Amino acid sequence: MSPARAVLVKIAGGLSILALWEMVARGFAAAYVARPSGILRVLPQTLGSEAVLRGTAITLWGVTQGLIIAVILGTAVGLLMGSLKLVERLLGLYVNGLYAMPMIAILPLLTIWFGYTSKTRLATVVFASFFPIAMNVADGARSVPAEYLEVARSCRARPHHLWFGVTLPSSLPYLLAGVRLAVGRALVGAVVAEFFVSVDGLGFYVLFQSRTFHHNQAFVAVLLLGAFALAIDALIAWLTGRYLRWHRPGEDRR
Amino acid sequence: MPRIAVRGAGKRYGELQVFRGLDLSVGQREIVALVGPSGCGKTTFLRCLDGLIPMSEGEIVVDGKPINGPLPRTAMVFQHFGLLPWKTVRGNVAYGLDLAGASKAEIRERVPHFIQLVGLAGFEDAYPYQLSGGMQQRCGLARALAVEPDLLLMDEPFASVDAQTREILQFELLRIWRMRPTSMIFVTHSIEEAVLMGDRVIVLKGRPSGVAEIVEVDLPRPRTRATLASPRFAQLREHVWNILMDEARRAEFELER
Repeated sequence: MSPARAVLVKIAGGLSILALWEMVARGFAAAYVARPSGILRVLPQTLGSEAVLRGTAITLWGVTQGLIIAVILGTAVGLLMGSLKLVERLLGLYVNGLYAMPMIAILPLLTIWFGYTSKTRLATVVFASFFPIAMNVADGARSVPAEYLEVARSCRARPHHLWFGVTLPSSLPYLLAGVRLAVGRALVGAVVAEFFVSVDGLGFYVLFQSRTFHHNQAFVAVLLLGAFALAIDALIAWLTGRYLRWHRPGEDRR
Repeated sequence: MPRIAVRGAGKRYGELQVFRGLDLSVGQREIVALVGPSGCGKTTFLRCLDGLIPMSEGEIVVDGKPINGPLPRTAMVFQHFGLLPWKTVRGNVAYGLDLAGASKAEIRERVPHFIQLVGLAGFEDAYPYQLSGGMQQRCGLARALAVEPDLLLMDEPFASVDAQTREILQFELLRIWRMRPTSMIFVTHSIEEAVLMGDRVIVLKGRPSGVAEIVEVDLPRPRTRATLASPRFAQLREHVWNILMDEARRAEFELER
């Protein structure tokens, strides 16, 4: 199938789903239930509304702050775990265990520690995104090819040269893979925290609009969240192309 | 006085004695080739000489001082090239200088010279994965030369490139060495390569291995492709081959018993 035709087929698939949704909503659902035509109708005014703009800014800022903290902490802990056997033994079980634990379970506790404030959202985001980053960086640091370290030592590398000149750059592909996983978890964490503690943000906007039967508006916010996930993923892909041009998966690790 | 003196060197990993009782001296501007069967500990010995791993017995003295770690004026070229894949050719060549504490200006001035010297001009911004094996080793050689070493340690540097490239690189190395002759220890399992490169060929054999014979190579320098065709070259090659052959035969009988 030619590429152009493949695209057309994909568009046709999407349109059929939308048409089906529209028909079912018109035929069987109450008037307030979200439907494509309704979403399209409220889209411009919703996107321009102060509540959505403010919610977007607040949620994105919270997610960004949390991701920055998680990247710094996760990279540090991951490098230590991957390079020092003792740290691996101390923390390995807990980092891997907490990665698999549903982070929503800890939300009530975070609420008690941080109150019904945006700090709880920040803590949830950090908690959600720290573990995949730490785990991936630890994997990366463990699999630094011995040749690189040997070359560095032959050139009289001091410990900081080994850490920041060899182990860290060699682990970068793993770090970016970890961040990709972390972004999705961070967005989920932020929205769930907003649901739970009712702090202002895009998640809370969805909750509020749903409860006041503005389902079309709520859906616009849901689509926005999806668009952010795609945008951040595209940003990471761009960063990978820009800074990891040297990386050829499966080739550089003998 | 020899620049590098090795006395009674031995290395043991637990029960396994890799080599024992190695004595060796390398003079100023002398190339010593170490040849021996695979697994005889040539590479391990070279790592000891580079100060990367400690020896179990004996001592290595460079310029009058026993070594206890990598030295600043010693550079090693690895069989695995050891290029850092996230650095370009320029970055890799600068790596040794950078770690040695050279200033940015110094690096900017010296790196292009060594890239030119090994014939990589035009590939400064290429990443290792974009280079052929031979070009990667040229880059590894430039990194070692850039710190202007007094002692070059070559660990089977051309063992993982194809036969034609290998021959080209051998003569390139001899050409570069003539421009700035240093002491060099050249480890190889190729008898021809050992005879072509070395002023002396140290033949290692036995289990644990030790020096079987030291062969003086009286071939005139500069050595060129014509050297390879000379009768004396063939004679020396056969001589080294016979020393090692003896070993191979004995190993065969041991297996049969």
